[in-house]
Amino acid sequence: MTSQQESSSKPNPPSPSASFYDLSDDEEGGYNTITHNSATRGVKLLYSKSKVYVHPTPSAKDNIPGFIALVQQKSSPLSADDRPDSSGDSSGKQTNASSYLLAWVPESSLTQDDLSTYVRVDLKDGQSPPKQSYLVPPLPLATSFDESPVGPYAFSLPLSSIYSIHVRPPSLGWWYGSIVINTRAGSSLPALFFHDSECESTILQKKRRTRESFDPFGETGDLFWGGDEVIRWLKRYVTVERSTAEPSIYLIDPSEEDRLGFGQGRGSMEAQGRQKAAGSDSKKPKQKPPAGPGMDPLTKALKETRWKILEQLSKVTTFTRRTAEDLVNNKNIPPQVRRLIQNPEIQTLQDEFDSAKLYLARWAMTIAEQSEREKRQRMWTARDVLESEETSVGDFEILDMESGKMTLSDSRRRPVDLKEWESFFDSSGKLQVTVDEVKERIFHGGLDPEDGVRKEAWPFLLGVYDWDSTEEERLAYMNSKRDEYIQLKGAWWDRMVEGESTPEQEEWWKEQKNRIEKDVHRTDRHIPLFAGEDIPHPDPTSPFFNPDGPGTNVHLEQLKDMLLTYLEYDTPPSSSNASHYQTRNPHPLNLGYVQGMSDLLSPLYAVFQDDAVAFWAFVEFMRRMSRNFVRSQVGMRAQLSTLDQLVQILDPKLYLHLQAADSTNFFFFFRMLLVWYKREFEWSDTLRLWEALWTDYYSSQFHLFIAVAILEKHRDVIMDHLRHFDEILKYINELSGTIELQEILVRAERLFKRFEKTVEAVDRKNSFPAPSGGDVRQRKPVDGAEGKSQDSPTSAAATGTDTVPSTAAGASASQRQALPARPRQAQGKQGPKGKAKEVEKEKEKEKEQVITPEVRLLLSRKIITVDGEEDDASKPRASGLKD
Amino acid sequence: MSSRKKVLLKVIILGDSGVGKTSLMNQYVNKKFSTSYKATIGADFLTKEVTVDDRTVTLQLWDTAGQERFQSLGVAFYRGADCCVLVYDVNSTKSFETLDSWRDEFLIQASPRDPESFPFVVLGNKIDLGEERRMISQKRALAYCQQRGQMPYFETSAKESINVEQAFEVIARNALAQEESEEYGGDFSDPININLDQERDGCAC
Repeated sequence: MTSQQESSSKPNPPSPSASFYDLSDDEEGGYNTITHNSATRGVKLLYSKSKVYVHPTPSAKDNIPGFIALVQQKSSPLSADDRPDSSGDSSGKQTNASSYLLAWVPESSLTQDDLSTYVRVDLKDGQSPPKQSYLVPPLPLATSFDESPVGPYAFSLPLSSIYSIHVRPPSLGWWYGSIVINTRAGSSLPALFFHDSECESTILQKKRRTRESFDPFGETGDLFWGGDEVIRWLKRYVTVERSTAEPSIYLIDPSEEDRLGFGQGRGSMEAQGRQKAAGSDSKKPKQKPPAGPGMDPLTKALKETRWKILEQLSKVTTFTRRTAEDLVNNKNIPPQVRRLIQNPEIQTLQDEFDSAKLYLARWAMTIAEQSEREKRQRMWTARDVLESEETSVGDFEILDMESGKMTLSDSRRRPVDLKEWESFFDSSGKLQVTVDEVKERIFHGGLDPEDGVRKEAWPFLLGVYDWDSTEEERLAYMNSKRDEYIQLKGAWWDRMVEGESTPEQEEWWKEQKNRIEKDVHRTDRHIPLFAGEDIPHPDPTSPFFNPDGPGTNVHLEQLKDMLLTYLEYDTPPSSSNASHYQTRNPHPLNLGYVQGMSDLLSPLYAVFQDDAVAFWAFVEFMRRMSRNFVRSQVGMRAQLSTLDQLVQILDPKLYLHLQAADSTNFFFFFRMLLVWYKREFEWSDTLRLWEALWTDYYSSQFHLFIAVAILEKHRDVIMDHLRHFDEILKYINELSGTIELQEILVRAERLFKRFEKTVEAVDRKNSFPAPSGGDVRQRKPVDGAEGKSQDSPTSAAATGTDTVPSTAAGASASQRQALPARPRQAQGKQGPKGKAKEVEKEKEKEKEQVITPEVRLLLSRKIITVDGEEDDASKPRASGLKD
Repeated sequence: MSSRKKVLLKVIILGDSGVGKTSLMNQYVNKKFSTSYKATIGADFLTKEVTVDDRTVTLQLWDTAGQERFQSLGVAFYRGADCCVLVYDVNSTKSFETLDSWRDEFLIQASPRDPESFPFVVLGNKIDLGEERRMISQKRALAYCQQRGQMPYFETSAKESINVEQAFEVIARNALAQEESEEYGGDFSDPININLDQERDGCAC
């Protein structure tokens, strides 16, 4: 290891962080500080490959892109020959092994300069290391990878310290091929995943191979993927032997003992391969890399198909980028690809193998997303806007030209922070702007996740606090609510301890408690607040009771208590416990605990960290959500049915497809609707989404537009690839963790506006009173035009549901001002002909459209509860559905 | 079009919430156990290719929410099932006692042609928790299965991967037998096969 010390010429500073690494030896030297300057630019980058990811969690959002690289220590005495011949004998390789390091470094840790060096080396033709020296800063050694200063997963490891590499080529279970490095010290580094579809160099290499010899279905050789490249690099410097016993294991400079352990004979598979390769290798560059680990024929075929699609799509997406802003309504899943998919061989594949179609679908989406991402980055210059307007736009574009485009760049998309929030109130804590202004800001910008503004704003959004209240009133109100919470909590507690109820009731409560506990213990445990267990379980009869140690934590216990308290609140008093606390809930629904409730409660508790406030916030949230949980499931059915009608109106073609696929039950949205996308989005996005939905800014049913937005984003893929209920369900389920919230919010907003226009058009056609001025973006006139009476907003101010028409219209006006030139340009570029066509199309659609009362309700901002529309406090309502 | 007919066996896994349906499925398909599964909402499935008597078949294992309230929407995926797996937790009497209602519910919703012969397999899960926690003895469970038309019974641990493989082998075998017997009578109950030859539709561009 002396070579490393030499290479890191900087003296080892007594860095406080050094203690973290707790290294037994001193070999790290300068590696654990990354003061990069010319003095320490000590390592030479021989090979690198981009888009190699660490997947720290199952969520794709957490994936960390980086480079895998082979570097050479500058000052190794044995590295006089920088470019050893691959046919060099293995003893020579052995001595060099410690001066070459295999490294992984996250993109984010690289400076611009270093990044471009990595990219340059990546794009060099990988047959041999570059002649020119590319120097990059040294990287921390592997032993410290979990505390490394450049991100938790970065490492560099001398080849001499690598014992073996576990190579997992892409397969059905693992779309991305990966490698795991096992060190001689006995540890394994995190798996590195090769996202070949994003890696420029792999794509290029792939293309070259395709050009020169290509018949994906006939070729017998192994398939090319990023991991092969790494093995190939290593083979230049060390002996790499593939284990005969464990073909996925490649041993690095194995000793005789290692060989025996892995069932290597004298002539191991790798050695044979090497001999074969050596002959041609030195003469001319060989296209085919050394045989990689085998893939099953299906994967291979799929993988090859994918590459073909990729190639085709890369052409198309450049085109797409300029043609339409999104994939909605574009017919640009191109004919080439369509033909390809109709290719008999691929059809056979699709039919014979269950998952093939799903995979095809997913690739197509990945690629489409990639191009969209690029687009988004470019979208906000005026030229781009012009460009996109010039091109063929669907009716979508026309309708949304004014509203859709600016939304992301707008300053209104900045989160509302505590300071801005406080500026909404006067000195008495009374709101001094309109409720709609506040809601508009929160709908578009969300609330700052860091500064505690959520704690302040959520009780208003949820309707715990009256928007008209003063601070004093709120304090008083919360104090009384705190007392009430304590009483409620005491009521079930008493019942459990004293056992005063009938045996049936006792049994029921016990059962409920078990259910709640079971779910609480599996709710959001990845959130630090709920992770870990550090207190003994209070109840020895609980299945979670652990006689030998902690069985729970205080926050889980709080969740449990709050859910039990909600049960108390929601359960109608019975004669036997009448002496106890009488719930002040005028309309107990008697839902019992239902799965999903814990999902709805935990974010509230995590934000407030105050059980009483969280409880009352939950009670308010449940006013909206309880219809999802009633025994008859009418609420879920109603929403799925509304969704059905909404898709019929907004995208009839997609609807027909879903119909043919036996999927118009829309069951694949069940999970999304039940817990408001909590399982689809990450924690932070969920909070952002919920606060937008709570505003009811456009509609109290905006969550249904989120569903349509998700569906629309994937509509081309669904229409082209997915033909059965199970395929669609699987595809939609697997979107979990991959959906970009911001984009979906913008889409949903546009869909809403489009819907609003459609309803207006239909109404006009049916001689409903025409909305005044014809500007449909003024919501109020539309509401007013509804046949259904909505009365004046009642005392709903308490829940913030009343509309302030002037504000809504004002917001639209300011939107227009933000980009004044656009509508005119759009019209000009489009030309009268295109416009006329669009209008015609629109008309055609209207013919078939009937706006049912359920659908019309989507325009309303009134919260829908179990019994239908928002209840007035005065209006009596049925006491819950029972079956 | 392929000349071979793909054999897809649809298996529905039912049982009270928290008995380990998701865990069993994941242990079998992905060879993984996690303590951090969330309560299942809605439905999902995993597929696995297996060989039964030299025939390669695809098992499509449907995992559902365990709370009975959500079952009414389950019709969509019960239909066309080839086998139903009933899971209970050997440490929970209640989860055992509800097996009958799960079975009945399934028969009503899936309405197989011959309910008497429709294959069920019963799994008593979580045997790793130890005898002192156990509420349902093997004897009692076996007697129950015997009474209900000799349903095969396995005691499993998804956590420690005990008997999981064996159980699903029997499940696959019974499902295949069911599929083959259905085939004789015209396969009208399976929407998946019905649509195989349908034209692509939707996009008329």
